[in-house]
Amino acid sequence: MSKFQTIDFYKAPKKNYHLLPFRFSDLAKDKLILTNLVGEYFVTEKKILEDLVHHKLEQEDPNYKALRSKHFLYDDQTSVAKDLLSIKYKTKLNRLAEFTSLHMFVVSLRCEHSCPYCQVSRQSDDKVKYDMSEEVALKSLDLALRSPSPNIKIEFQGGESLLNFELIKFIVEEAKRRETNKNLSFVIATNLAVVNRDILEYCKIHGIHISTSLDGPKDLHNKNRPRPGKNSYEKTIEGINLSREILGPDMVSALMTTTEASLAYPKEIINEYIQNNFNEIFLRPLSPYGFAIKTKKFNEYNADKWFEFYKEGMEYIIELNRNGLEFKEFYTSIILKKIFTFTDPGYVDLMSPSGIGIAAVIYNYDGEVYASDESRMLAEMGDKKFMIGDVMKNTYEEIFLSDNLLDPLEESFSYSAPMCNECAFENYCGCDPVYHHAVHGDFVGRKPESDFCKRNMSIFKYIFNRMESDSFVEQLFMSWIQ
Amino acid sequence: MNLDISFHKSVYPLDVLKKAAYRFIDSFSIDFIPKDNQIYCTLNFNEKLTDKQCEYYLDQFKKEVLDQDLREKIKKETEPIRNLVLAQAFSKTNLIKDE
Repeated sequence: MSKFQTIDFYKAPKKNYHLLPFRFSDLAKDKLILTNLVGEYFVTEKKILEDLVHHKLEQEDPNYKALRSKHFLYDDQTSVAKDLLSIKYKTKLNRLAEFTSLHMFVVSLRCEHSCPYCQVSRQSDDKVKYDMSEEVALKSLDLALRSPSPNIKIEFQGGESLLNFELIKFIVEEAKRRETNKNLSFVIATNLAVVNRDILEYCKIHGIHISTSLDGPKDLHNKNRPRPGKNSYEKTIEGINLSREILGPDMVSALMTTTEASLAYPKEIINEYIQNNFNEIFLRPLSPYGFAIKTKKFNEYNADKWFEFYKEGMEYIIELNRNGLEFKEFYTSIILKKIFTFTDPGYVDLMSPSGIGIAAVIYNYDGEVYASDESRMLAEMGDKKFMIGDVMKNTYEEIFLSDNLLDPLEESFSYSAPMCNECAFENYCGCDPVYHHAVHGDFVGRKPESDFCKRNMSIFKYIFNRMESDSFVEQLFMSWIQ
Repeated sequence: MNLDISFHKSVYPLDVLKKAAYRFIDSFSIDFIPKDNQIYCTLNFNEKLTDKQCEYYLDQFKKEVLDQDLREKIKKETEPIRNLVLAQAFSKTNLIKDE
């Protein structure tokens, strides 16, 4: 018989622990990610996961303490964990009670561009047919200002919204005239081709932001965005510079759309943004709606091809930052906010329940109300599945309680969607019923066949793997949250 | 190409096998035949896949069954806690009018 006790004799008596709800997914070879109910995460290996689930994890194990502090398990010392988790969960859902902060007004469907990927514009001089009337604008404004959200952003969309600038002025002044306790802000989405000093001086007085489209270097931009004179790029750059001169540098932002022609040029596109003094870019894939489908632009690349483009762009952005230039990717920073904070950024595509109607709503030029910008693009293809009412015919209650809004919200809720409900990334993802309806014919779609799922899964894994493998990237990504 | 595999019911319930199969819905369809203590599965692959690819998917399916079993254990233990607060969500919407 040994004179010495075994090591087990000296260990603290084993206490029972209880699991808190969590999910796990593969991250890389021999690496898994665990996320709890509110999206706090823990990267580990399979053996630790199995020990955790089978209650074999020792209290002395550093993994035990980490898992306890991140609310994956609780024991006698941390019975408060359930309450904390509950509070965090409530905080995450808080935005739902104060819904619809973004209200888009399609002031005109007319446009002097003829972009093949565009979903909605019309080349027409018919102002009566394709411009929003004052009557429709007033009814739309009534609805917008009834939203529970304390912050109301009114975004003017087109077509080319500046072709109906008189109505923009009418809406801005009417919104400001009304006595509300809302924080109002205004954005004009425009290609800047018809902008001038007078328009921008007005924007300055009323604090109106400018959001424009810049697809990349001159050749690529002009190829993507044809207009008479073949000078879309020149007009956009002139407009950006004039807007900055009059409004200030922070009042102008730009969006790019990735076409097949863009895929080979991520660095050049990013350089174009840097040269024009932007400090971020949104490497945005093409939406499968409207003319993008009619002109077969959407099928020109799949999620894998787009991800290669995104990854090359991201690696370039990381290197730029490593060399001292502050520059970020917009979509990644939205996801990082969802990973590291309990405040939802309210980005429609990355919300569950979906952001349609809740985060954004759009009033079309003719008075029809759609649950999102993509919904009205779908309507342009003849599918009015997400038309939730008409400002001239329906009340606020009828519109925001319509089956066309509540059914997709309920059915697509990712917490109860097959495969999403067990996915470790569900907290950071969305459900996008409009995309799945357009491509798969129902609000949920089969996730193994969904490019939406493939694209986002690839991004999530890329983000976590990069943070795990490079401390500079981890710090950089943390700085993008602010 | 078809590949067969069977699982003992006392080790893996049918629900676990179904969930594992769902993840491969883009690669193969599957027939389940419960008989006696076994669940017999036939994996039906697209003609374009090679034998090697089919074997790979079968191997992945077996690993996924293990993962799904683990998920089931977590789900069962944490079920009461998972049913936390959603009621707050639409509490301040002004959508309900006074009568």
